Amino acid sequence: MTCPGGPPGPPRAVHQFVPALIPRDATGSHTLLLREALRAAGWRSEIFAEATHDELLNESNKVARYGDYARPGDVLVYQFSTSSMVADLLMERPEPLVIDYHNITRPELYEPWEPATARRSAEALEQLARLAPRAALGLADSAFNEADLVAAGCPATAVVPVLVDLDRLGAPADRRTAARLAAAKADGGADWLFVGRLVPSKGQHQLVKALWAYRQLYDPAARLHLVGSTPSNRYLGALRAFVDDLGLREAVRMPGEVSEAALAAYFDAADVYVSMSVHEGFGVPLLEAMGAGVPVVALRTGAVPGTVGDAGLVLDRTEPSYVAAAARRVVSDDTLRRRLTAAGQRRVAEHTLARAGARAVEAVSAVAGEPPGRAGSGAARGGGAVR
Amino acid sequence: MVAPTDEAPTDDQAYLIGVMAEIDEEVRSRRASGDLPARVERELDELFLEHSPVAGQGGGLGEALRMVDAAAFIDPVVPIDSAKSGGAVVKKGLRTLSLWYMGYVTHQVSQFATAVSRSLHLLDERVEALQSQLEAQEVPPAHVVEAPGAHHPDAWWVPDALAALQAAPGRVLHTAAGDGWLVRVLAAKGVDAYGVDPRPRTVDRAELDGTDLREEGVLEHLRAVEPSALGGVVLTGVVDPMTNGERRQLLDLLVDRLAPDGTLVVHSLSPAGWDADDAPPEADLASGRPLRARAWTNFLPMLGFTVTVHEGPKGADYLAVAVLREATPAR
Repeated sequence: MTCPGGPPGPPRAVHQFVPALIPRDATGSHTLLLREALRAAGWRSEIFAEATHDELLNESNKVARYGDYARPGDVLVYQFSTSSMVADLLMERPEPLVIDYHNITRPELYEPWEPATARRSAEALEQLARLAPRAALGLADSAFNEADLVAAGCPATAVVPVLVDLDRLGAPADRRTAARLAAAKADGGADWLFVGRLVPSKGQHQLVKALWAYRQLYDPAARLHLVGSTPSNRYLGALRAFVDDLGLREAVRMPGEVSEAALAAYFDAADVYVSMSVHEGFGVPLLEAMGAGVPVVALRTGAVPGTVGDAGLVLDRTEPSYVAAAARRVVSDDTLRRRLTAAGQRRVAEHTLARAGARAVEAVSAVAGEPPGRAGSGAARGGGAVR
Repeated sequence: MVAPTDEAPTDDQAYLIGVMAEIDEEVRSRRASGDLPARVERELDELFLEHSPVAGQGGGLGEALRMVDAAAFIDPVVPIDSAKSGGAVVKKGLRTLSLWYMGYVTHQVSQFATAVSRSLHLLDERVEALQSQLEAQEVPPAHVVEAPGAHHPDAWWVPDALAALQAAPGRVLHTAAGDGWLVRVLAAKGVDAYGVDPRPRTVDRAELDGTDLREEGVLEHLRAVEPSALGGVVLTGVVDPMTNGERRQLLDLLVDRLAPDGTLVVHSLSPAGWDADDAPPEADLASGRPLRARAWTNFLPMLGFTVTVHEGPKGADYLAVAVLREATPAR
């Protein structure tokens, strides 16, 4: 479809706006990779962030400075994942707007634990409802997320894969982390892995229950690694106390946020990637696990079935004995492991950075017009169908 | 695994479906062997809830007030420990310099918090007084009232129920399932069945043989079930003692939770059986009374069911079998 864009002509800019630009965060990484894809396509492209992590200070500009950059014909892409004053700013801007939607965790999932976060989540949903009808196009990384955009009143939508640089996990693993994990493995026991923020909706407490059952039933030396930052100290405290109650302090490791090299070490050591998250708009770590050759066991929720496909066991229930039995099967059945990892590699091949970048550029071109770098080049087009 | 579709599964999908079935069987046999009873899994849930915040564990207003009281006092004397050499001295100096200012501000904030806390305590007292008045008028939860001698595999109505459920388009729920006798009969016929029962001791007994039973009331359970998720529902002993309001909720939920062509089976005492001398004593305490068979044949078609009624041999009970053809919201 052709969306109402600016005037055709000389290289125009496709600038991105993001509430927070954070390294090793799915939205932050996607934003940086999309900028490269947009620039490679010939558009000028900058990132404007309300807040930027120290590591990325050179990669972004303050949102308030956009006025200095604004030119007629600009197209603005908003990386929407939380509430932000950026949404209010974009409501007032005249440029064509593309919402790149990464899902909003529902307020009720935060409410008992982090009421303030729940309020922000509710605000984000309100902002989406106000902004979506004004957007020329909504991009979603799953059909599950696309449904949110349609419900919010987005006039045109497309499903475009999230941009993930899976090659970075192929880089050498952090030696100290790898040595520590190898030493633990030498004593026996399977290694379970989950990567994601420690928040109730990610269901780490369900993983602890399942690990307890797994150790009771199958493997008393098994370990669980919960890698990810901790925005909810209340949940972290509950999780730690629960782990202590079950006598699992040595078996459940919570290293927090880790470097990419350390993350590669965790994926190398993992026998199974297990997710009991109850809300996933896409699930980038699931894809990373497949890329690392780690078979997946995940709860059927949100976009998970679409992300995992045939590359994992997708469970309908969270009962610890059921999750434990599924993990045991994956760990101990070589045929199943081979089939799951092979299917995972096929899914990863569908999500290469080059392919996802091309589809994102193609989708954005519905609003911004033909990419300047492509004019007359006959570049392959694989864009998501705009509805 | 792949979401169910109308298309034939691929080799990979068929393989994974087989693996999932074997995992299900593994869980069932583990439970049957007593390796990890469902009761233990519930205890895990409860243990985690003990660490959840008040809103998460339903700790009540008293617990919330205790937390408010604990947080109402704001201490202006900040800690001065420091890992850096001389840090404690610097912090102590800063604290001494700013204490007059911080003390003035925190005193007012503490006063405000104490006033709020006191107001909440007054409200709590009034709510407790109201609660005790309401308890005297409270309608107790519906008991399970079962027809005597009619809840075992050889009961007269069981063959008709089995015939109706043989081709159920999904899982079959039995409530109140007791020790799981009907679930086992259904499973032996190849029907994927499970049960719920609000009576805890019966569920504990059933766990010993691995039957999928849960300790829940029918309404509570159905609220947690996905729409169109059930192929059949067997109601025995739960509808008769319900109030009309509860029955209406139950019908609303059944219409929503049953899949198209799903089957509803209701075994009920007749009004005569309810009044008979051998009726269970719980009948005297129940809020409701059993419906006549004709009530089901009259009301269920309005909700999109086709209904057949089988009368019991002694007129003390009957069986209503209804198939959901086209769901209509309950009135």
